[in-house]
Amino acid sequence: MQSASKILSYSNSRRGAAVVALVLACGFMLSAADTPVNVQLNLKKAGPRQVESLTEQAILRDYRLAWTSIAQAFETSSADPLEGPFAGEAKKQLVDVAIQQQQSGLSQRYLNQTHHLDAVFYAPEGDVMELHDTAEFQLEVSTGGKIIHQEHIVQHYVVLMTPAADRWVIRHLQAVPQF
Amino acid sequence: MLRTFLILASLAFSAATVGLSAAQDIRVPSSIAAGDEATISTTGSGKATFYLIGPSVSRKNDVNLGEEIKLQPRDVQIAGNYLALVCSGECRSANFYVSPAKPAALTFLVHPSRVPVAQGDAISGVAFPFDQFHNLVLAPLTVNFQLSVSNSAMFSRQVKTQDGAAWFRTSSGKSAGAVQAIATLNDVSTRRAVQQVASDPCNLRIKGERTKTGLLLETEPVHDCGGNIVPDGTIVTFTANEGDTRSTVDAPIKKGIARAQISGTAAATISVASGVVIGNELRIGAK
Repeated sequence: MQSASKILSYSNSRRGAAVVALVLACGFMLSAADTPVNVQLNLKKAGPRQVESLTEQAILRDYRLAWTSIAQAFETSSADPLEGPFAGEAKKQLVDVAIQQQQSGLSQRYLNQTHHLDAVFYAPEGDVMELHDTAEFQLEVSTGGKIIHQEHIVQHYVVLMTPAADRWVIRHLQAVPQF
Repeated sequence: MLRTFLILASLAFSAATVGLSAAQDIRVPSSIAAGDEATISTTGSGKATFYLIGPSVSRKNDVNLGEEIKLQPRDVQIAGNYLALVCSGECRSANFYVSPAKPAALTFLVHPSRVPVAQGDAISGVAFPFDQFHNLVLAPLTVNFQLSVSNSAMFSRQVKTQDGAAWFRTSSGKSAGAVQAIATLNDVSTRRAVQQVASDPCNLRIKGERTKTGLLLETEPVHDCGGNIVPDGTIVTFTANEGDTRSTVDAPIKKGIARAQISGTAAATISVASGVVIGNELRIGAK
């Protein structure tokens, strides 16, 4: 009985250690794409068309997904994550970066992203929306597994989104010094 | 003794090398227009690795510290924020912005593609100016919107872009036909077309005659209140009441006229409607 109890205790402690190791391993393996992307949307300046509630939810969902995809694409140097949320020139430019990263051996991590979005123009027929994004994130640039640059970024973006079959896609994403 | 000397000499050489590499610095241009050539200057001496990360670029190449790094026009075609890094032991970084070049194209969206005449705020358009590299030009610019039907002006307005967008909204014209919509910015212009079609029918009238098997009914040429022929395909509903029996036929307008045949031999009252418009009633006696 005593030996059984010891075995149980030993087993529990091993299991505990394994859980701790797993949690730590997961912590180390956590990629930028796994960290949450916070998006806040302000519609006060939107016009001339009023933004419907469902559109607001779709913009929030799809903009968040777009930046999760950027983080994933740039961290893994893969264009695949950019397939859904982007179209036109925005997609081409981001894909170019991902492909060039494969050649240069560079990778970028976008950590702790926060986006303050202002809808500044919503076309009368609802076929295009312009947004201003003040984005904050921690940028890490690596090459060969070594971080060569770290920076806290506050960046302004002008964004054009258009509705597609089942989502809003980013057609234009342009960083600007200020609004 | 010799060993000690060699170690000291080696340490001194290493310190000198590190000192030279650590002296590196990087200076970027204060402003670059998209597609322009640019140079980045470095200080120090020795070999280093240069990295350029931008909206559509991520490249590295070897450079000599103290020499200028030339950026080709294709490196800086896309407006936005660029990060330049020079690494030799340690890394030095600098950021710079590339601004859009002059406008070279207008993206012009016009809605709808087909619109009934005389509808308030029925046509709208949005224009976005882009440079030759597809960068959105955000500086305020004046876009001239013009709408015309058969070379006669219908609408004209100059609108200054705000955050890179200019837009208009206007009523549709009085006569059916193709509307040419043009957005012009300096020497750049973009055309779109909107088809204006007749509005709801006006004064819908029918005539009919009895045939061997029933009733042959047809409308007079169907116009809207502005005199425009209602487009083919518009549905006209004929209803025949013969005592307690009611027959309904939907017929599309073809070349301005809708026709229907209703079987029956009893006296009938025929009515006609298209959309919300009701036409005249017709009484036809029994066979």
